[in-house]
Order: sequence, then C-alpha cells, then structure tokens
Amino acid sequence: MSRARTAAAALAIAVGMLGTACGDGPDAERRIALLLPESKTARYESHDRPAFVGRVAELCAECETLASNAGQSASRQQAQAEAAITNGAAVLVLDPVDSTSAAVIVRHAAEAGVPVITYDRLVLDAPVTFHITFDNERVGAMQAQALLDEIGDSDGVLVVLNGSPTDDNAAQFRRGANTVLAAADVEIGVEADIPDWSPDQAQEAMERALTTLGRDRIAGVYAANDGIAAGAIAAMKAAGLDPLPPVTGQDAELAAVRRVLVGEQHMTVYKAVRTQARVAAELAVGLVRDEEIPAGVRTTWVDNGYDRIPALLLEPLLVTRETIAGTVVGDGFWSVEEVCDGLEPECATVGLAAGETP
Amino acid sequence: MSPVLSPARLGRWAPPLALAAIWIAMTALNPRFLSAVNLTNLMLQIVAVGAIAVAVVLVLLIGEIDLSVGAVSGFGAAVVAVLSVKAGWPAGLAILAGLATGACVGLVHAAMVTRVGVPSFVVTLAGLLTWQGALLLVLGDTGTVNVNDTSLVAIAGTFLAPELGWALAAAFGGAAVAVVAVQARHGMATLRRSWPWLVGSAGAVIAVVVFNADRGVPLAVVLFLVLLGIGDLVMRRTRLGRHAVAIGSDASAARRAGIAVDRIRMAVFSLASVLAVTGGILAASRLLAVNQSSGGTDVMLTAIAAAVIGGTSLFGGRGSVWSALLGALVVGSLANGLDLLGASPAIRLIVTGLVLGIAVGLDTWARRSR
Repeated sequence: MSRARTAAAALAIAVGMLGTACGDGPDAERRIALLLPESKTARYESHDRPAFVGRVAELCAECETLASNAGQSASRQQAQAEAAITNGAAVLVLDPVDSTSAAVIVRHAAEAGVPVITYDRLVLDAPVTFHITFDNERVGAMQAQALLDEIGDSDGVLVVLNGSPTDDNAAQFRRGANTVLAAADVEIGVEADIPDWSPDQAQEAMERALTTLGRDRIAGVYAANDGIAAGAIAAMKAAGLDPLPPVTGQDAELAAVRRVLVGEQHMTVYKAVRTQARVAAELAVGLVRDEEIPAGVRTTWVDNGYDRIPALLLEPLLVTRETIAGTVVGDGFWSVEEVCDGLEPECATVGLAAGETP
Repeated sequence: MSPVLSPARLGRWAPPLALAAIWIAMTALNPRFLSAVNLTNLMLQIVAVGAIAVAVVLVLLIGEIDLSVGAVSGFGAAVVAVLSVKAGWPAGLAILAGLATGACVGLVHAAMVTRVGVPSFVVTLAGLLTWQGALLLVLGDTGTVNVNDTSLVAIAGTFLAPELGWALAAAFGGAAVAVVAVQARHGMATLRRSWPWLVGSAGAVIAVVVFNADRGVPLAVVLFLVLLGIGDLVMRRTRLGRHAVAIGSDASAARRAGIAVDRIRMAVFSLASVLAVTGGILAASRLLAVNQSSGGTDVMLTAIAAAVIGGTSLFGGRGSVWSALLGALVVGSLANGLDLLGASPAIRLIVTGLVLGIAVGLDTWARRSR
C-alpha cells in the first residue's frame, strides 16, 4: 500500500515537471554551442575551448557558451549537437570528428533554423553558413619555400614526407608545397605519405630513404608536421648524419620549437589557435546578435560539394630560430621557461631570457 | 509472501525505479529534458544500442558473453553500406547480405565455443579484434562511407503521420484487450498476468502523444519495439527460448534432461550477431554514414551495461528481452541528460560506471540469496 502511494507521489512530481517543461524554460538568454571533436590532442581543451568561452563572455554578457567534446565519436557528436539545439542554441560552432558524416549534423541544424560555423575542419556536402580555418595550402607553400631558401643551390635531392593519406588537410598542405617545389629546379628523391601522421612510420620511411638514396645525397627533408619531422630527424641521427640537412615542420609543438632553437630542425609553422578560437567566437556572437556575419570578414570562398561557402582563412606564421621570440613566445603559446629549460645558452643568443614572458 | 525488500524483488524493481529517478533528476536540472523534441531524440539515440543490447541479453541468458557485438555491428553495417553505395546493390539485398554476414560470424563464434571448447569470453574477444579489422578493410582507404540510398536513410529518418501513429497505438490496444479477454474467459486474468498489456497500452498512448507533439512516431522506434516483441515471444513461448534459459540456469542439468545444448548455443550466438548487425544498420541509418569508429569499444560496453542494468543476470538463466529496452533507456537517458547539462565526458563515464556497478551488485546479491 505504501509503495503504491510512493509511486503515485513520484508520478505526480513527474507530471508536475512535465507541466513546467512546456513553459519557456528558466532562462531566455542567447546560447552558442561549441562542438569539439576529441580530448586526446591537448589543444582543444587547453587552447580552443578557454579562448572561445572567454571571448564570448567578453563580447556578450547575455550569451552563454555550451561547450562539449565528442571524444572522437561521430555519433556522440551527433547527440551533442541535438542536445545543443534542444537547449536552444542559436548557432553551432562545429569542429567535426569526421568531415563527411558530420553532414547529418549540419542538415539537422539547418532544418531547425540554426546556422553552423565550421571550425578548423570543413563539413562536406551540407549547408554550412561560414568556415574558419588556417590557409592550409599557404602552410605547405611556406614550408617548401623555407626549405628551398635554406638549401640554396645545393645539388642534392629532397625527401618529401607528406601527412596522412586519409586527411583532407594533408592533401592541402601537399598541394601548397608541390606548387612551390615544382616551380623550383629541385629533384625529389623519395616521396611518401605517412599513415596517421605517425612519427614511428616517418622514422621508418626516412630509414628507407637513407638506404635507397645514400646518406650523402640528401639536401633537405620536407616533413609535413613536427611529429613527422621528429621521426625523420631520429632516423638521420641514428644514421650518423652530421650536420643534419634542413627539416621542415608544422604545429609549433614544444619539442619542435626546442629543436628549432638548437638547430636540429630548420623551421616550424605556428597556427595561432587562440586567435582562431577568438575570431570564431566573434563571428558566433555576430550571428546571434545580428543574424549575419559582419561584412568584410570573408576572405575567400571554399567549395564543399553543396555550395560555395564563405570562409575566413587565417595566416599561419613561420617560426625559425630568429623568430621564436616574436611568435610562439610573444603570443603566450609557450613560455620562455618551457622553451629554454636546459637550453639557456642557445636562448641567450636569440634574445630569449627568463622573465620576459608576456 | 516475500518481505518487502527481498533481493529478488529489489532486482526486479530497481531498473524502472532508477529510470524514474534519472528522469526526475534530469528534468529538475534542465526542464527541456522532458520536451517532446528531446524525448524523440532520446528514443532515436537508444534504438541502435538497444538492438545490440537484445543480442547481449540472449547470450547472457545461456550463461555466455559476447564481447564482439559492437565490432560485429560496425562490420555488418559497413558491409551493407559498401554494397549499397560502392556496388550499387538495392537496399533490401544489401541489408540481407549484412544480416547473413552476421549469421556467419555468429556461427564461427559458436563453433569455437562448442566444438573447440574455448570460453566465449576469449572467442568473442578475438572476434572483437578480427571484426574491427574487417570493418577497416571493408571501408577501404577513404575511412568513411556516406549512406545515401533513400530506403536505408528512411529507416531512422522516417516519422509516421499522426493518424498512423494513433492507428498503431489503437491496434496495440485492441490486441491487449483481446489478450486480456481471452485470459478472463479462462479465468486467468489476474493482475499478475495482465499488467504488462495494460501498462503497455497506457505507454503506447503516452508515447504517441509525445511523438506527435514533435515530428511523429519514428519508424526506427516502431521497428525496435517489434523486434523486442518478437524476441520476447521467441524466448518465452518457443522451445528454443525455454531451452536457452534452462541451459543458462544449469547447463549440465539441461544436457541430462536431453536438451541439445550445442545446437541451442549455435542458434543463440548466430541470432545475437544478426541482432548486432541490425543495431549497426540502425546506427548507420541515423548517422547517414559508416566510419572507422562505427561499433567501437564503447558501443559494446554500453550495450552490455544496458543489458545488465536492465536486469538481465550476468550469471545466466535470468532476464528478459525487455531489459534491453529498460537498460538502454537508463544508459541513454543518462547520456542524453548529461549532454543537455553540458557535462564533460569524464562525468558521463563515471556516472554510467556507478550505475552499472550498482546494477551488478544487485544482481550478485539477488543470486547469492536465492
């Protein structure tokens, strides 16, 4: 009997809540959803999310950011997008787990009248409102040009280690690099795609290149990112190359910046992730307030198979030994302590000293 | 009369009570949880894992385990997607081929268990790795295959017209009335026998009201419920089902009683893999794609957690197909609610883990005190 009464009470509470659910909800503020793809790469939770949330809070007191992370699961991201729309998000800022299958998220949002800004990675075949990323072809071109400048008129050959064959961004880096390399009079001895951007695979590929080309003919190594550069450098050190030929990189990982400092790696590319997040936040707030992207933001159009999407491509920055202070350290991406720990003499020669962190 | 708080009774009532508690808590924290849109989304979110959980229930009932259900669901869905998209097969044929793939996979598992005598835990662990590899192989270099066949898309993308939803509810209500009338004629219409039909009819009416307030009754949910109904009939009313439960309770006693233990195991393992592929197809139809993470490890863990949380015993012989629905609702409501609250993945894993721990604890307690 008492159980029946308890059940009746529970039902009454539930029905009462059903009643309130039909109302307007407790808060009618404006909501912006940030959907990040995974948490294993440190940048999303440590750089993108705080910069985005902070900028939204600065610009718009009545706005709230609903941030979620899909942990590399496309179906989880789909559920999180649905939750964001249910929660009344007025705009989605989406960094898709999978450029292809995320189309279902964008279409669902469009049906609900919610615009989608794609962030870092484009979503293909879907009505995307705006796209913000770095100019990936420019990254590839910068790497190739820096390599050519360093090599000069050496008569050796190049080793080209591209990124993952399944990554659309990797294809863009390669396109940019190929344009520059093809225009120059330089011979490519070995070219390989590195599955999953894996440093181990890069090391093996470099070992094979050393075997086929011979260790003395290599004038330089185009490595698509810092992980691949790490593998290539390890292979060349193990083979006893001294001095090392110039090696490129990308991402400004701490280990790579320190390699650039001691001269093992020629350059890396810094993509100001925090700037990207802040600009995305500004666009999202603009969409929430005025229902449009401010004029003049678009720098180009990209074709995603559905339509031409207005896009903002941010400029990557070249990091060499001389420009460490002005780029990654000046921007607060890495502190002087992190870069210089144990390398104080090298730091002194390029004007980096402890206590100068902005 | 058993005491009010007997372990068995607690075990039976814990899942629905847990579900009610979660719904009340989530609604209190975010009233949008109970909105028609969100409840429709919730149901669409659970059908795939729910179907895979049915597979787990069947295997648990005969006292075995299948760790490969997630990988098999992804593999089967990839077969369907590739045959449909890359080879241009009609949807029906592609689906049949996928289900047949599942049946073969299940027969291989069962043969290893029954003929070679390897524990199912190890066989299906090997299966998990193998079928994950097979998924990557079938998908090929591109890694993602977008499903665009209209019939495949329609499975999870169709919402029934309001009248059709009501017609279905009326048909179910009519069937319930007929069953209870027959029970009454034979003097068997006690509350104990008739309540599932009464509760089911009431549930159908509420569900149609909620679904019609949003986009309509989702076809995928109807398919899932039909699957549960058939599964329940098979497990309770056929020889296969009763023998399966007998094997799960005590395999050697079942063998002495003349039950063809190995044949039943063969049937249950292949049925489970077919159900897993069914879940995989539902998931693919919802995501409109099959990719490298389809049917990943967390699908398997969630499905097993759902079966156990729903009240199916890890120790065999005790449980019901409906526990897949109940457990999937509990796990799905937690995930959905925590997403609405913007909880981090860490919190979601911890909460689901705690609920699973409590469910297994109850199960063990109920078993010991029998």
